[in-house]
Amino acid sequence: MVAQLRLWSTFFKHALSSILINRLIYAISVGTIAISLFIFSAFVLLSVNVKNWIQGWGQTLSISVYLKDGIDEETRETIRTAISTLQGAEIKGYISKEKALQDMKRMLGSQAGLLDGLTRNPLPASFEVAFRNAGRKTFEPKRIKEVLEKVRGVDEVQYSEQWLDQFEGLLDMLKVAGLAIGGLLCVAVLFIITNTIKLAIYSRRNEIEIYKLVGATDWYVKAPLLIEGALQGVLGGMIALGVLSVMHLLLSFKVIQVFGLPFMDFVFLSKEYALGILFLGLVLGLLGSVIAIGRFFKF
Amino acid sequence: MALEDIDLRIRTGEFVFITGPSGAGKTTLLRLIFGAEPPTEGQIVINGINLSRISGTKLDLLRRKIGFVFQDFKLLNRRTVFQNVSLALEVTGEKGSVVRKKTHQMLRAVGLAAKEEAYPIELSGGEQQRVAIARAMINDPLILLADEPTGNLDPDITREIMVLFRSINLRGTTVVIATHSRELLRNTDQRIIVLHRGKAFE
Repeated sequence: MVAQLRLWSTFFKHALSSILINRLIYAISVGTIAISLFIFSAFVLLSVNVKNWIQGWGQTLSISVYLKDGIDEETRETIRTAISTLQGAEIKGYISKEKALQDMKRMLGSQAGLLDGLTRNPLPASFEVAFRNAGRKTFEPKRIKEVLEKVRGVDEVQYSEQWLDQFEGLLDMLKVAGLAIGGLLCVAVLFIITNTIKLAIYSRRNEIEIYKLVGATDWYVKAPLLIEGALQGVLGGMIALGVLSVMHLLLSFKVIQVFGLPFMDFVFLSKEYALGILFLGLVLGLLGSVIAIGRFFKF
Repeated sequence: MALEDIDLRIRTGEFVFITGPSGAGKTTLLRLIFGAEPPTEGQIVINGINLSRISGTKLDLLRRKIGFVFQDFKLLNRRTVFQNVSLALEVTGEKGSVVRKKTHQMLRAVGLAAKEEAYPIELSGGEQQRVAIARAMINDPLILLADEPTGNLDPDITREIMVLFRSINLRGTTVVIATHSRELLRNTDQRIIVLHRGKAFE
């Protein structure tokens, strides 16, 4: 155990001294990794927020269920029951044809006279339904619309937030773009780390030869190289997150300044996402080292 | 093929010269004994261990019991004399205090106690070879292999280095020196193996 600890502290010492010797190369490498991971985490941040906004709006979604003319009370009650069995649905009120016309007249105000010429009331009766705390995941307006429109006596279902669908389209696009760009950036990061470690191996080839000569195990030579790769990845990730958090702060401030109030929450990445970015850096660092080591060492 | 039909037995504690013209296979023979390359045919047994039957890691561990000295010393120029010698102990995971103590002792034994903090380029050729020998000897090896160890040194220094090899041998370490220097072979009563066209003669 103590011997293991001693060995690991030696590995770290070797890794750090190599980083110090090749510090310019490492600085460039870490910088590039930081930029790549920054772009990637910016995408993640954006999609997390867009998703949050959509979910927030989805929680207060309301729909109007328009009824056919001339249905009897029994049919109306059937419809009322059908609506109230929907999860999270709350009927805010029933608007009769007469009430609808009155509302219309009130809305038109001084021009209400326009409606006087009507021989019959063209407005349908409707149920106004609100969906509370029904998160976007469980609340699917499109499905509800389909279900209710099949109920006898229902003419049409409208949900005012149909444009939300377009937002969801945007979210999907963000996700695809994020994944594509993220994938490309990961390959780039891998390439950079692999090359940095290759250079480290190259600049230390005499040393490695001598280590092998005096009976160092492969692991003794490889472990510091793995540590160097991992450090680059994690350091790049930390810088990326640092820059992102500063930009997030500045942006939130800007939003408040422009709109006078934070009209929508612009949240930062959750702990899990932040750790995920660091973990991604770590994995890329280790993988890059493994590739570089594999290319060089044919003991 | 560098070597062919070699049937060679070197006893524990022997002092052996391997000689022959350039390209006769002296270096190859040493590298085979060291396990740096495997024989295409046949086997090499050291201290009862068949080199072709053990794993890479076991071979690494066995190498700690075989010291190797080169004509070009193979020292790390960015490290001090002390660090060059101590690294051979460090790779074994030895405790820091033990590493320091043994390194001091070893450097004293080869007469370099005063130059511990010097860098290899500040030393003469003979001193550099002493550092290399100290590094090769610090793990108390069973065998010390030397490939043209005096090839870069003048006659006086060569004599000093040979005295050092003799004293190492007297303490029980098997010493195998590859050389094509007639000087070195003229004044010796040790066993001499001559390699010629890949074959060994005594």
